[in-house]
Amino acid sequence: MFLTLLFSCVFNCSLNRLQSELMALMMSGDSGISAFPEEDNIFCWKGTIIGSKDTVFEGTEYRLSLTFPNDYPFKPPKVKFETLCFHPNVDLVGNICLDILQDKWSSAYDVRTILLSIQSLLGEPNISSPLNNQAAQLWSNQDDYRKMVEKLYKSPKA
Amino acid sequence: MVSDSITSASIHAAPNNNNNNARDVSKKKRARSAKLKQCKLDVRREQWLSQGAVKNKDVKAEQNGVVEERKDRNNHRPFGNLGMRPGGGENDGSIHHHHHHDSDLDSNSPNSLTSSVLGSNYSETNFTGSSSSSSSSSSGGCCSGNITEDDEGGGDDGCLDDWEAVADALAANEKPKNPCLESPPEHDPIAQSGSPQETTIGSDGPNFGVENSKPQCARTIPKASGNGLAWRPDDAFRPQSLPNLAKQVSLPNSNRKHYGCGGVPWAYSGVVSAPSSCPICYEDLDFTDTSFLPCLCGFRLCLFCHKRILEEDSRCPGCRKPYEHEPVEAEASVHGGSLTFRLPRSCSLITRS
Repeated sequence: MFLTLLFSCVFNCSLNRLQSELMALMMSGDSGISAFPEEDNIFCWKGTIIGSKDTVFEGTEYRLSLTFPNDYPFKPPKVKFETLCFHPNVDLVGNICLDILQDKWSSAYDVRTILLSIQSLLGEPNISSPLNNQAAQLWSNQDDYRKMVEKLYKSPKA
Repeated sequence: MVSDSITSASIHAAPNNNNNNARDVSKKKRARSAKLKQCKLDVRREQWLSQGAVKNKDVKAEQNGVVEERKDRNNHRPFGNLGMRPGGGENDGSIHHHHHHDSDLDSNSPNSLTSSVLGSNYSETNFTGSSSSSSSSSSGGCCSGNITEDDEGGGDDGCLDDWEAVADALAANEKPKNPCLESPPEHDPIAQSGSPQETTIGSDGPNFGVENSKPQCARTIPKASGNGLAWRPDDAFRPQSLPNLAKQVSLPNSNRKHYGCGGVPWAYSGVVSAPSSCPICYEDLDFTDTSFLPCLCGFRLCLFCHKRILEEDSRCPGCRKPYEHEPVEAEASVHGGSLTFRLPRSCSLITRS
Protein backbone atom coordinates (compact mmCIF):
# COMPACT_ATOMS: atom_id res chain seq x y z
CA MET A 1 0.00 0.00 0.00
CA PHE A 2 2.61 2.47 1.05
CA LEU A 3 4.97 1.16 -1.54
CA THR A 4 2.34 1.74 -4.13
CA LEU A 5 1.86 5.19 -2.79
CA LEU A 6 5.55 5.85 -2.87
CA PHE A 7 5.85 4.49 -6.35
CA SER A 8 3.01 6.60 -7.59
CA CYS A 9 4.65 9.64 -6.08
CA VAL A 10 7.89 8.87 -7.83
CA PHE A 11 6.05 8.18 -11.02
CA ASN A 12 4.09 11.37 -10.75
CA CYS A 13 7.29 13.19 -10.09
CA SER A 14 8.85 12.07 -13.34
CA LEU A 15 5.60 12.52 -15.20
CA ASN A 16 5.14 15.98 -13.88
CA ARG A 17 8.68 16.87 -14.61
CA LEU A 18 8.52 15.60 -18.18
CA GLN A 19 5.35 17.53 -18.81
CA SER A 20 6.92 20.65 -17.42
CA GLU A 21 10.02 20.10 -19.48
CA LEU A 22 7.98 19.69 -22.59
CA MET A 23 6.21 22.93 -21.95
CA ALA A 24 9.42 24.74 -21.16
CA LEU A 25 11.07 23.33 -24.25
CA MET A 26 8.24 24.40 -26.47
CA MET A 27 8.27 27.87 -25.01
CA SER A 28 12.01 28.29 -25.01
CA GLY A 29 12.46 28.44 -28.76
CA ASP A 30 16.01 27.19 -28.70
CA SER A 31 17.41 27.15 -32.17
CA GLY A 32 18.82 23.94 -33.40
CA ILE A 33 17.21 21.59 -30.94
CA SER A 34 13.71 20.30 -30.48
CA ALA A 35 12.04 17.37 -28.85
CA PHE A 36 8.56 16.02 -28.50
CA PRO A 37 7.01 12.96 -26.94
CA GLU A 38 6.36 10.06 -29.19
CA GLU A 39 2.65 9.63 -29.78
CA ASP A 40 1.03 9.18 -26.41
CA ASN A 41 3.97 7.97 -24.41
CA ILE A 42 5.58 10.80 -22.56
CA PHE A 43 8.47 8.58 -21.53
CA CYS A 44 9.63 8.22 -25.13
CA TRP A 45 10.64 11.35 -26.93
CA LYS A 46 11.99 12.09 -30.35
CA GLY A 47 14.46 14.90 -30.56
CA THR A 48 16.23 16.66 -33.36
CA ILE A 49 19.54 18.42 -33.36
CA ILE A 50 20.83 20.64 -36.08
CA GLY A 51 24.56 20.87 -36.44
CA SER A 52 25.94 24.16 -35.18
CA LYS A 53 27.32 26.77 -37.45
CA ASP A 54 31.01 26.67 -38.19
CA THR A 55 31.26 22.99 -37.50
CA VAL A 56 31.52 20.16 -39.96
CA PHE A 57 27.97 19.25 -39.04
CA GLU A 58 26.54 22.61 -40.04
CA GLY A 59 23.22 22.28 -41.76
CA THR A 60 22.74 18.62 -41.02
CA GLU A 61 19.85 17.47 -38.92
CA TYR A 62 19.90 14.47 -36.66
CA ARG A 63 17.03 12.65 -35.09
CA LEU A 64 17.44 11.15 -31.69
CA SER A 65 15.35 9.00 -29.44
CA LEU A 66 15.17 9.69 -25.74
CA THR A 67 13.80 7.02 -23.45
CA PHE A 68 13.15 8.09 -19.90
CA PRO A 69 13.18 5.68 -17.00
CA ASN A 70 10.34 5.82 -14.50
CA ASP A 71 12.65 7.41 -11.97
CA TYR A 72 13.74 9.85 -14.60
CA PRO A 73 15.23 12.88 -13.10
CA PHE A 74 17.25 10.67 -10.81
CA LYS A 75 18.41 8.40 -13.59
CA PRO A 76 19.48 9.59 -17.02
CA PRO A 77 17.42 8.91 -20.09
CA LYS A 78 18.75 6.63 -22.78
CA VAL A 79 19.62 8.77 -25.75
CA LYS A 80 20.45 7.39 -29.17
CA PHE A 81 20.98 8.82 -32.58
CA GLU A 82 18.41 7.53 -35.01
CA THR A 83 20.01 9.28 -37.91
CA LEU A 84 23.40 7.92 -38.77
CA CYS A 85 25.90 10.30 -37.27
CA PHE A 86 29.50 10.13 -38.29
CA HIS A 87 31.09 11.29 -35.11
CA PRO A 88 33.96 10.08 -32.97
CA ASN A 89 31.75 9.61 -29.92
CA VAL A 90 28.78 8.05 -31.65
CA ASP A 91 28.89 4.46 -32.74
CA LEU A 92 27.35 3.02 -35.86
CA VAL A 93 24.06 2.17 -34.21
CA GLY A 94 23.71 5.57 -32.64
CA ASN A 95 24.92 5.02 -29.11
CA ILE A 96 26.41 8.14 -27.65
CA CYS A 97 29.40 8.25 -25.39
CA LEU A 98 28.69 11.28 -23.29
CA ASP A 99 29.59 11.44 -19.64
CA ILE A 100 26.52 13.35 -18.56
CA LEU A 101 24.36 10.56 -19.92
CA GLN A 102 26.20 8.07 -17.79
CA ASP A 103 28.22 8.55 -14.65
CA LYS A 104 28.16 12.32 -14.73
CA TRP A 105 24.40 12.49 -14.87
CA SER A 106 22.78 14.93 -12.53
CA SER A 107 19.10 15.18 -11.89
CA ALA A 108 19.47 18.86 -12.55
CA TYR A 109 19.93 18.15 -16.24
CA ASP A 110 16.93 18.08 -18.49
CA VAL A 111 16.07 17.36 -22.08
CA ARG A 112 17.12 20.77 -23.15
CA THR A 113 20.54 20.57 -21.57
CA ILE A 114 21.00 17.06 -22.89
CA LEU A 115 20.26 18.12 -26.43
CA LEU A 116 22.42 21.20 -26.14
CA SER A 117 25.22 19.07 -24.76
CA ILE A 118 24.95 16.67 -27.64
CA GLN A 119 24.84 19.56 -30.04
CA SER A 120 28.05 20.91 -28.65
CA LEU A 121 29.54 17.45 -28.55
CA LEU A 122 29.08 17.32 -32.31
CA GLY A 123 31.45 20.22 -32.77
CA GLU A 124 33.81 19.26 -29.99
CA PRO A 125 34.27 15.53 -29.89
CA ASN A 126 36.35 13.76 -27.33
CA ILE A 127 38.91 12.18 -29.55
CA SER A 128 40.67 10.37 -26.76
CA SER A 129 37.92 7.83 -26.16
CA PRO A 130 36.25 7.28 -29.50
CA LEU A 131 33.43 4.93 -30.31
CA ASN A 132 34.01 5.47 -34.01
CA ASN A 133 37.71 5.16 -34.71
CA GLN A 134 37.45 6.11 -38.31
CA ALA A 135 35.75 9.36 -37.43
CA ALA A 136 38.29 10.04 -34.71
CA GLN A 137 41.14 9.63 -37.14
CA LEU A 138 39.50 11.73 -39.78
CA TRP A 139 38.65 14.54 -37.37
CA SER A 140 42.02 16.16 -37.80
CA ASN A 141 41.20 16.78 -41.44
CA GLN A 142 38.10 18.91 -41.21
CA ASP A 143 37.59 19.27 -44.96
CA ASP A 144 37.58 15.57 -45.56
CA TYR A 145 35.47 15.12 -42.51
CA ARG A 146 32.90 17.54 -43.84
CA LYS A 147 32.79 15.67 -47.10
CA MET A 148 32.28 12.41 -45.28
CA VAL A 149 29.50 13.90 -43.21
CA GLU A 150 27.75 15.21 -46.29
CA LYS A 151 28.16 11.94 -48.11
CA LEU A 152 26.75 9.88 -45.27
CA TYR A 153 24.03 12.39 -44.62
CA LYS A 154 22.75 12.22 -48.15
CA SER A 155 22.75 8.46 -48.25
CA PRO A 156 21.50 7.67 -44.77
CA LYS A 157 21.70 3.93 -44.96
CA ALA A 158 25.35 3.16 -45.21
CA MET B 1 9.28 3.15 5.51
CA VAL B 2 5.78 3.76 6.56
CA SER B 3 6.44 7.21 7.76
CA ASP B 4 8.55 7.78 4.72
CA SER B 5 5.89 7.12 2.26
CA ILE B 6 3.37 9.03 4.19
CA THR B 7 5.54 12.00 4.42
CA SER B 8 6.36 11.85 0.81
CA ALA B 9 2.76 11.49 0.03
CA SER B 10 1.82 14.37 2.15
CA ILE B 11 4.08 16.51 0.18
CA HIS B 12 2.19 15.82 -2.97
CA ALA B 13 -1.18 14.51 -2.18
CA ALA B 14 -4.37 16.24 -1.36
CA PRO B 15 -4.52 18.04 1.93
CA ASN B 16 -7.61 16.37 3.28
CA ASN B 17 -6.20 12.91 3.10
CA ASN B 18 -3.05 14.09 4.65
CA ASN B 19 -4.78 15.35 7.67
CA ASN B 20 -6.21 11.98 8.37
CA ASN B 21 -3.13 10.02 7.54
CA ALA B 22 -0.74 12.14 9.37
CA ARG B 23 -2.95 12.33 12.39
CA ASP B 24 -3.27 8.62 12.55
CA VAL B 25 0.40 8.28 12.29
CA SER B 26 1.00 10.89 14.87
CA LYS B 27 -1.36 9.13 17.22
CA LYS B 28 0.45 5.90 16.74
CA LYS B 29 3.67 7.55 17.38
CA ARG B 30 2.68 9.26 20.51
CA ALA B 31 3.94 6.50 22.70
CA ARG B 32 7.27 6.39 21.00
CA SER B 33 7.66 10.06 20.65
CA ALA B 34 7.82 10.45 24.35
CA LYS B 35 11.16 8.71 24.24
CA LEU B 36 12.98 10.07 21.29
CA LYS B 37 13.36 13.65 20.50
CA GLN B 38 13.81 12.80 16.89
CA CYS B 39 10.56 10.99 16.90
CA LYS B 40 8.95 14.02 18.28
CA LEU B 41 10.41 16.07 15.61
CA ASP B 42 9.16 13.70 13.05
CA VAL B 43 5.66 13.72 14.33
CA ARG B 44 5.76 17.41 14.62
CA ARG B 45 6.97 17.61 11.13
CA GLU B 46 4.25 15.46 9.77
CA GLN B 47 1.68 17.38 11.59
CA TRP B 48 3.18 20.49 10.30
CA LEU B 49 3.13 19.09 6.85
CA SER B 50 -0.39 17.85 7.01
CA GLN B 51 -1.73 21.05 8.29
CA GLY B 52 0.71 22.74 6.10
CA ALA B 53 -0.84 21.22 3.03
CA VAL B 54 -3.66 23.55 3.72
CA LYS B 55 -1.99 25.94 5.97
CA ASN B 56 1.62 25.99 5.05
CA LYS B 57 0.74 27.87 1.98
CA ASP B 58 -0.52 30.71 3.93
CA VAL B 59 2.00 30.31 6.62
CA LYS B 60 4.42 32.01 4.39
CA ALA B 61 1.76 34.41 3.35
CA GLU B 62 0.97 34.70 6.97
CA GLN B 63 4.60 35.19 7.69
CA ASN B 64 4.36 38.08 5.38
CA GLY B 65 1.53 39.38 7.32
CA VAL B 66 2.45 38.25 10.76
CA VAL B 67 3.07 41.64 12.00
CA GLU B 68 0.25 43.12 10.11
CA GLU B 69 -2.09 40.46 11.24
CA ARG B 70 -1.35 41.00 14.81
CA LYS B 71 -1.71 44.67 14.58
CA ASP B 72 -4.74 44.26 12.53
CA ARG B 73 -6.24 41.99 15.02
CA ASN B 74 -5.67 44.40 17.79
CA ASN B 75 -6.93 47.35 15.91
CA HIS B 76 -9.79 46.24 13.77
CA ARG B 77 -10.75 42.79 14.80
CA PRO B 78 -13.66 42.63 17.17
CA PHE B 79 -13.25 38.93 17.90
CA GLY B 80 -9.63 38.20 18.15
CA ASN B 81 -9.83 36.00 21.20
CA LEU B 82 -7.95 32.79 21.04
CA GLY B 83 -10.70 30.35 21.67
CA MET B 84 -13.32 32.06 19.63
CA ARG B 85 -14.12 31.08 16.14
CA PRO B 86 -16.68 33.55 15.00
CA GLY B 87 -17.28 31.52 11.90
CA GLY B 88 -16.79 32.23 8.25
CA GLY B 89 -13.83 34.23 7.16
CA GLU B 90 -13.57 36.17 10.36
CA ASN B 91 -11.41 33.69 12.19
CA ASP B 92 -8.35 34.29 10.13
CA GLY B 93 -7.12 36.80 12.62
CA SER B 94 -6.93 34.37 15.46
CA ILE B 95 -5.77 31.59 13.26
CA HIS B 96 -2.96 33.52 11.89
CA HIS B 97 -2.01 34.60 15.26
CA HIS B 98 -1.69 30.98 16.20
CA HIS B 99 0.21 30.23 13.11
CA HIS B 100 2.61 32.79 14.11
CA HIS B 101 3.36 30.94 17.30
CA ASP B 102 3.28 27.71 15.50
CA SER B 103 5.87 28.63 12.99
CA ASP B 104 8.08 30.25 15.51
CA LEU B 105 8.05 27.38 17.88
CA ASP B 106 8.23 24.88 15.17
CA SER B 107 11.41 26.34 13.94
CA ASN B 108 13.15 26.42 17.22
CA SER B 109 11.60 24.00 19.65
CA PRO B 110 12.11 20.39 18.87
CA ASN B 111 10.95 19.28 22.26
CA SER B 112 7.52 20.75 22.15
CA LEU B 113 6.31 17.72 20.36
CA THR B 114 4.33 15.82 22.87
CA SER B 115 2.29 18.73 23.84
CA SER B 116 1.70 19.67 20.28
CA VAL B 117 0.41 16.26 19.43
CA LEU B 118 -1.77 16.20 22.46
CA GLY B 119 -2.90 19.67 21.83
CA SER B 120 -3.84 19.04 18.28
CA ASN B 121 -5.72 15.89 19.00
CA TYR B 122 -7.45 17.46 21.87
CA SER B 123 -8.53 20.48 20.01
CA GLU B 124 -9.42 18.38 17.06
CA THR B 125 -12.05 16.65 19.07
CA ASN B 126 -13.23 19.95 20.29
CA PHE B 127 -13.49 21.61 16.96
CA THR B 128 -14.77 18.91 14.74
CA GLY B 129 -17.25 21.35 13.35
CA SER B 130 -15.61 22.64 10.21
CA SER B 131 -12.87 21.16 8.16
CA SER B 132 -10.33 23.75 7.26
CA SER B 133 -10.93 26.12 10.06
CA SER B 134 -10.93 23.36 12.61
CA SER B 135 -7.58 22.17 11.46
CA SER B 136 -6.37 25.67 11.71
CA SER B 137 -7.71 26.13 15.15
CA SER B 138 -6.30 22.82 16.16
CA SER B 139 -2.96 24.20 15.28
CA GLY B 140 -3.86 27.00 17.58
CA GLY B 141 -4.45 24.54 20.34
CA CYS B 142 -1.17 22.88 19.79
CA CYS B 143 0.54 26.15 19.73
CA SER B 144 -0.60 27.21 23.10
CA GLY B 145 0.37 23.80 24.27
CA ASN B 146 3.80 24.35 22.93
CA ILE B 147 4.19 27.54 24.73
CA THR B 148 3.28 26.20 28.10
CA GLU B 149 5.37 23.15 27.64
CA ASP B 150 8.32 25.19 26.72
CA ASP B 151 7.91 27.41 29.67
CA GLU B 152 7.35 24.65 32.15
CA GLY B 153 9.84 22.23 30.79
CA GLY B 154 12.61 24.72 30.58
CA GLY B 155 14.51 22.00 28.77
CA ASP B 156 15.39 24.22 25.95
CA ASP B 157 16.82 27.52 26.87
CA GLY B 158 17.27 28.33 23.25
CA CYS B 159 13.57 28.39 22.78
CA LEU B 160 13.10 31.23 25.12
CA ASP B 161 16.07 33.07 23.78
CA ASP B 162 14.88 32.65 20.27
CA TRP B 163 11.42 33.55 21.23
CA GLU B 164 12.63 36.80 22.63
CA ALA B 165 14.66 37.34 19.54
CA VAL B 166 11.52 36.81 17.55
CA ALA B 167 9.64 39.27 19.61
CA ASP B 168 12.41 41.76 19.16
CA ALA B 169 12.56 41.13 15.49
CA LEU B 170 8.87 41.50 15.15
CA ALA B 171 8.81 44.65 17.16
CA ALA B 172 11.64 46.02 15.11
CA ASN B 173 9.93 45.17 11.89
CA GLU B 174 6.55 46.29 12.97
CA LYS B 175 7.21 49.94 12.60
CA PRO B 176 8.61 50.10 9.11
CA LYS B 177 6.00 47.72 7.80
CA ASN B 178 3.04 49.64 8.98
CA PRO B 179 2.39 51.42 5.70
CA CYS B 180 1.37 48.21 4.02
CA LEU B 181 -1.28 47.16 6.42
CA GLU B 182 -4.20 47.21 4.08
CA SER B 183 -3.60 44.25 1.86
CA PRO B 184 -2.82 41.36 4.25
CA PRO B 185 -6.31 40.98 5.65
CA GLU B 186 -7.56 40.72 2.11
CA HIS B 187 -5.21 38.25 0.62
CA ASP B 188 -4.63 36.02 3.56
CA PRO B 189 -8.13 34.62 3.68
CA ILE B 190 -8.00 34.28 -0.05
CA ALA B 191 -4.81 32.41 0.10
CA GLN B 192 -6.35 30.17 2.67
CA SER B 193 -9.41 29.37 0.68
CA GLY B 194 -7.39 29.10 -2.48
CA SER B 195 -4.79 26.73 -1.22
CA PRO B 196 -6.62 23.52 -2.09
CA GLN B 197 -6.76 24.64 -5.67
CA GLU B 198 -3.19 25.46 -5.55
CA THR B 199 -2.16 21.87 -5.23
CA THR B 200 -3.86 21.05 -8.47
CA ILE B 201 -2.39 24.01 -10.15
CA GLY B 202 1.00 23.09 -8.92
CA SER B 203 0.71 19.60 -10.25
CA ASP B 204 -0.42 20.72 -13.64
CA GLY B 205 2.31 23.12 -14.38
CA PRO B 206 4.17 24.64 -11.54
CA ASN B 207 5.69 27.22 -13.72
CA PHE B 208 2.48 28.60 -14.97
CA GLY B 209 0.35 29.37 -12.05
CA VAL B 210 3.24 30.81 -10.24
CA GLU B 211 5.51 32.60 -12.58
CA ASN B 212 3.20 35.48 -12.97
CA SER B 213 3.72 36.50 -9.46
CA LYS B 214 7.27 35.31 -9.19
CA PRO B 215 9.47 38.06 -10.46
CA GLN B 216 8.94 40.10 -7.35
CA CYS B 217 9.06 37.25 -4.95
CA ALA B 218 11.50 34.85 -6.49
CA ARG B 219 14.39 36.23 -4.67
CA THR B 220 12.90 36.57 -1.29
CA ILE B 221 10.05 34.14 -0.97
CA PRO B 222 10.37 31.59 -3.67
CA LYS B 223 7.25 29.96 -2.54
CA ALA B 224 5.01 32.67 -3.72
CA SER B 225 2.34 30.37 -4.98
CA GLY B 226 0.06 31.24 -2.17
CA ASN B 227 0.58 34.87 -2.86
CA GLY B 228 -0.05 34.36 -6.51
CA LEU B 229 -3.40 32.88 -5.73
CA ALA B 230 -4.13 35.56 -3.30
CA TRP B 231 -3.74 38.17 -5.92
CA ARG B 232 -5.59 36.47 -8.64
CA PRO B 233 -9.14 37.18 -7.54
CA ASP B 234 -8.57 40.88 -7.40
CA ASP B 235 -6.42 41.61 -10.34
CA ALA B 236 -7.51 45.17 -10.21
CA PHE B 237 -5.65 45.50 -6.95
CA ARG B 238 -2.43 44.18 -8.27
CA PRO B 239 -0.64 47.33 -9.18
CA GLN B 240 -1.23 48.69 -5.73
CA SER B 241 -0.71 45.58 -3.74
CA LEU B 242 2.38 44.36 -5.53
CA PRO B 243 4.76 46.85 -4.05
CA ASN B 244 3.22 46.26 -0.68
CA LEU B 245 3.61 42.56 -0.97
CA ALA B 246 7.15 42.94 -2.06
CA LYS B 247 7.77 44.81 1.12
CA GLN B 248 6.05 42.21 3.17
CA VAL B 249 7.93 39.54 1.42
CA SER B 250 11.09 40.98 2.74
CA LEU B 251 9.68 40.70 6.19
CA PRO B 252 9.83 36.96 6.67
CA ASN B 253 13.40 36.94 5.59
CA SER B 254 14.46 39.35 8.18
CA ASN B 255 12.38 37.46 10.66
CA ARG B 256 13.81 34.18 9.74
CA LYS B 257 17.25 35.47 10.09
CA HIS B 258 16.38 36.17 13.64
CA TYR B 259 14.49 33.17 14.74
CA GLY B 260 13.72 30.72 11.98
CA CYS B 261 17.23 29.69 11.26
CA GLY B 262 18.51 30.14 14.71
CA GLY B 263 21.88 31.41 13.74
CA VAL B 264 22.78 28.62 11.37
CA PRO B 265 25.29 30.37 9.19
CA TRP B 266 24.24 29.23 5.77
CA ALA B 267 20.76 30.52 6.21
CA TYR B 268 21.90 34.01 5.48
CA SER B 269 23.31 33.33 2.10
CA GLY B 270 20.63 30.92 1.11
CA VAL B 271 17.49 32.91 1.45
CA VAL B 272 18.50 35.45 -1.08
CA SER B 273 18.73 33.37 -4.21
CA ALA B 274 16.26 30.59 -3.60
CA PRO B 275 14.50 29.32 -6.69
CA SER B 276 10.74 29.20 -6.81
CA SER B 277 10.39 25.59 -7.81
CA CYS B 278 12.42 22.50 -7.31
CA PRO B 279 14.83 22.11 -10.22
CA ILE B 280 14.47 18.35 -9.99
CA CYS B 281 10.76 17.70 -9.88
CA TYR B 282 9.63 21.20 -10.89
CA GLU B 283 7.17 21.30 -8.04
CA ASP B 284 6.87 24.50 -6.12
CA LEU B 285 9.11 24.78 -3.17
CA ASP B 286 7.14 25.26 -0.02
CA PHE B 287 8.14 27.22 2.98
CA THR B 288 10.17 24.43 4.49
CA ASP B 289 11.88 23.66 1.24
CA THR B 290 12.99 27.20 0.75
CA SER B 291 14.71 27.21 4.08
CA PHE B 292 16.49 24.01 3.28
CA LEU B 293 19.97 24.29 1.89
CA PRO B 294 21.50 20.85 1.80
CA CYS B 295 24.74 21.66 0.04
CA LEU B 296 27.30 24.36 0.41
CA CYS B 297 27.23 24.98 -3.31
CA GLY B 298 23.84 26.56 -2.81
CA PHE B 299 21.90 24.17 -4.98
CA ARG B 300 18.39 23.98 -3.65
CA LEU B 301 15.84 21.29 -4.14
CA CYS B 302 12.73 20.08 -2.45
CA LEU B 303 12.92 17.70 0.46
CA PHE B 304 11.32 14.92 -1.45
CA CYS B 305 13.93 14.97 -4.16
CA HIS B 306 16.66 15.40 -1.63
CA LYS B 307 15.51 12.27 0.09
CA ARG B 308 15.42 10.41 -3.18
CA ILE B 309 18.95 11.45 -3.94
CA LEU B 310 20.11 10.47 -0.50
CA GLU B 311 18.72 7.03 -1.11
CA GLU B 312 20.69 6.69 -4.30
CA ASP B 313 24.00 8.27 -5.07
CA SER B 314 23.69 10.94 -2.40
CA ARG B 315 25.43 13.56 -4.42
CA CYS B 316 24.31 17.12 -4.88
CA PRO B 317 22.82 17.59 -8.36
CA GLY B 318 24.34 21.03 -8.50
CA CYS B 319 27.98 20.25 -7.85
CA ARG B 320 28.05 16.43 -7.79
CA LYS B 321 29.78 16.44 -4.47
CA PRO B 322 28.48 14.02 -1.90
CA TYR B 323 26.08 15.54 0.52
CA GLU B 324 27.44 16.27 3.93
CA HIS B 325 27.27 13.36 6.28
CA GLU B 326 25.51 15.10 9.05
CA PRO B 327 22.08 15.23 7.49
CA VAL B 328 22.45 11.71 6.25
CA GLU B 329 23.25 10.30 9.63
CA ALA B 330 20.56 12.25 11.28
CA GLU B 331 18.19 11.15 8.64
CA ALA B 332 19.02 7.53 9.16
CA SER B 333 18.18 7.89 12.79
CA VAL B 334 14.90 9.55 12.09
CA HIS B 335 12.56 7.21 10.29
CA GLY B 336 14.49 7.13 7.11
CA GLY B 337 14.67 10.78 6.57
CA SER B 338 11.31 12.36 6.38
CA LEU B 339 12.94 14.85 8.62
CA THR B 340 16.03 15.74 6.71
CA PHE B 341 14.84 19.17 5.86
CA ARG B 342 14.23 20.00 9.41
CA LEU B 343 17.63 19.10 10.61
CA PRO B 344 19.81 21.75 9.13
CA ARG B 345 17.68 24.31 10.82
CA SER B 346 17.28 22.63 14.10
CA CYS B 347 20.52 20.77 14.45
CA SER B 348 22.00 23.47 16.55
CA LEU B 349 19.04 23.16 18.85
CA ILE B 350 19.33 19.44 19.01
CA THR B 351 22.89 19.58 20.06
CA ARG B 352 22.10 22.26 22.51
CA SER B 353 19.24 20.54 24.25
